[in-house]
Amino acid sequence: MIFELDNVELYFKNKRILNGIYLKAETGKVTAILGKNGCGKSSLLNIAFGNLKPKYKLIRLNNKPLLKPLYLTGFVKYLPQNNFIPDGMKLAFVFKTYNLNWNTFIENFEPFSVYKNSKFKTLSGGERRVIDTYIILKTKSEIVILDEPFSHLAPIHIETVKQLISVEKKYKVIIISDHMYQHIIDSSDTLYLLKNGTTKKIENLTELEDYKYLSEGSL
Amino acid sequence: MHRFLAILAFYKLFVVWSFIVTAIIGFFNPYLAPAITTKLFLTIFAWYYVSETPIKRKLIFYKNLGITPFKLFSIMFLVDCFLTIIFLTVFKEFT
Repeated sequence: MIFELDNVELYFKNKRILNGIYLKAETGKVTAILGKNGCGKSSLLNIAFGNLKPKYKLIRLNNKPLLKPLYLTGFVKYLPQNNFIPDGMKLAFVFKTYNLNWNTFIENFEPFSVYKNSKFKTLSGGERRVIDTYIILKTKSEIVILDEPFSHLAPIHIETVKQLISVEKKYKVIIISDHMYQHIIDSSDTLYLLKNGTTKKIENLTELEDYKYLSEGSL
Repeated sequence: MHRFLAILAFYKLFVVWSFIVTAIIGFFNPYLAPAITTKLFLTIFAWYYVSETPIKRKLIFYKNLGITPFKLFSIMFLVDCFLTIIFLTVFKEFT
C-alpha cells in the first residue's frame, strides 16, 4: 500500500500551523517525521488519522483520493501521544477487544504476565506506554501511525519496540514521530523534517544539522 | 461482543448522571415520550461536551476499533433508552 498526505493546510484561529505538506509512506518502509516542539508533528499525525480536520488536505491510498477520514476505512491504527486505553479497562479485556493474544505479548514482555487481570490505570506510565504501543503495532491493520512511541519507555523496552517495528513494517505502512531522534534514525527508512509548517525530505542525515534541527556534531 | 462491552464501558462514565435524570423525570413526569426526548437532548449534549474537552482523547480507543463517535453515542442512546423504559415502567407500577 502507498499512503500519501498532500496539500495540508492547518490554522489554529488565524495562526498558520501547517502548509505545503507532502508525505509519502509505503508498506515495507518506516517513514519518520522529525521536528522541534510545537512544529505540528502531532497535528499532522492527527490529520492523517482523521482525528483533526484541517482547512485543506488530500489523502491518497494507492494513488486514489480518500474523501472520508482514514480511520473509517479500518486500515489504520493510531498511537496518540497520550494513553488511549480507558483507565478502568482490564488488560485481558483490551487484548480480546483488539483480537490480540495475551500469551504472545508475554513472550516479548515477560514481566507483564502478572498484569493480565489488572486495570490499565494500575500500571506505571512506562508500562502503560508499552501496552499502548504493542496494541497499535500488533493489531491487524495496513497503516500504523505512532506518535512518540519511545516516550517514557525503559531502554530494554525501546529495543523490543524497535524490533517489533522492524517485523511489522514488512506488512504495514508505518509512520512514526518522536523526539528521540537516534532511535528514529535507527528505525526509519525515510525521514521527513517538519519545519516552518512544511515537510522537507531528508536524503542525508547532515541536512538535520543544516536545517538546525540538530546541533553541529550531534550525529 | 467485546466491542459492545467496550461501548458499555464508555457509557459507564455517564450512567450515574443518566440515572439521576431518569429519577427526576420519573418523579415529575413519568411518561416515556418526554423522558426519551430528554435523553436524546442529553446524549447530544454529552457528545458536544466530549468533543470540546480533553475527554475526546478517549474516543481514539473507539476510532481505532472503527467505531465512529456517531455510532458510539447512538448505541449509548439506545442502551440508555432501554434502561429508562425499564426504570419508568417499574416506577409507575409502584406509584
